[in-house]
Amino acid sequence: MSSRISAQPGTHDPIHHDHGKQHCLKVLQKLSAYLDEELTGDICAEIRSHLGACPNCEVFLDSLRQTIALCRHHQPHLLSAADRATIRRHILKSVPPA
Amino acid sequence: MTSRRSGHQDGVSSPQSPSSSSATEPDFDRIYRDYVDLIYRFAHRLCGESEAARDIVQETFLNAYRGFKDFRGDAQLSTWLYTIASHACMRMRRKRKGQPERELSLEEFIPTSDGEFQLQVPVEGLSPEQALQNKELRRMLDHAIGRLPPKYRMVLVLRDMEGLSAKEVGSIMRLNERAVKSRLHRARLFVRKELSAKGLTQQSTGKTHTD
Repeated sequence: MSSRISAQPGTHDPIHHDHGKQHCLKVLQKLSAYLDEELTGDICAEIRSHLGACPNCEVFLDSLRQTIALCRHHQPHLLSAADRATIRRHILKSVPPA
Repeated sequence: MTSRRSGHQDGVSSPQSPSSSSATEPDFDRIYRDYVDLIYRFAHRLCGESEAARDIVQETFLNAYRGFKDFRGDAQLSTWLYTIASHACMRMRRKRKGQPERELSLEEFIPTSDGEFQLQVPVEGLSPEQALQNKELRRMLDHAIGRLPPKYRMVLVLRDMEGLSAKEVGSIMRLNERAVKSRLHRARLFVRKELSAKGLTQQSTGKTHTD
């Protein structure tokens, strides 16, 4: 995945598309696999072709890609040194010496 | 006899007394030192609060100490600890009131209105690190993850946040890879939907929407 969160495509009319919602749902089912590069070439080509024709799905895919990137870079909470030592002490107190 | 690998990938050497049922204190200290931060990070991401995360860390390492004989050398030590921690988290959840377990269907993730196809906090052109400097976005992301039904949250945390492979997640959660991928996809769609809900930023910050 790119180190930058990708730009969204240009403006579009999100309400009107020229194909049925079922097709979008079919593509939506595969978007994680598409982003994780788990699909075969012909399925990828089919999805790309749909995305080219459906601005909504393209924006949707971009927002999903951004979501995954945000999760992957989520800042972890850190344990303080004092807590680390306290927990260790509690554990060793609970376990009888071998 | 349980096989244990020597000098395994996690960078911890084999225990000194393979016949004992629990770790020796030096073994324990080495494992604790090397993995306590990892398990705390994981626990905090799962339960979203420091006190509960500390409890999970304590239970995890106590169980690891007592059950060292159960560690199989064919798994990474980190995977074993993730497994113990995930069980500790599930036990804690049963005692507490949290997000209810429910199935997520793909249909519920189809945007229903204009504007919900994209994220509400603009992130385009920014690196994820830059985007996450926005405190409101961090809060929204934490909130979205916290609202995930637990079995989906576990997969998302392990796969997308902890960076484990689908196979490792499957081994921790006792799921096949197909089920892991299916849950992961729904979890990602859930978080995406939460971050794109129209009016979310105005509601949470009180700011006027400007588009």
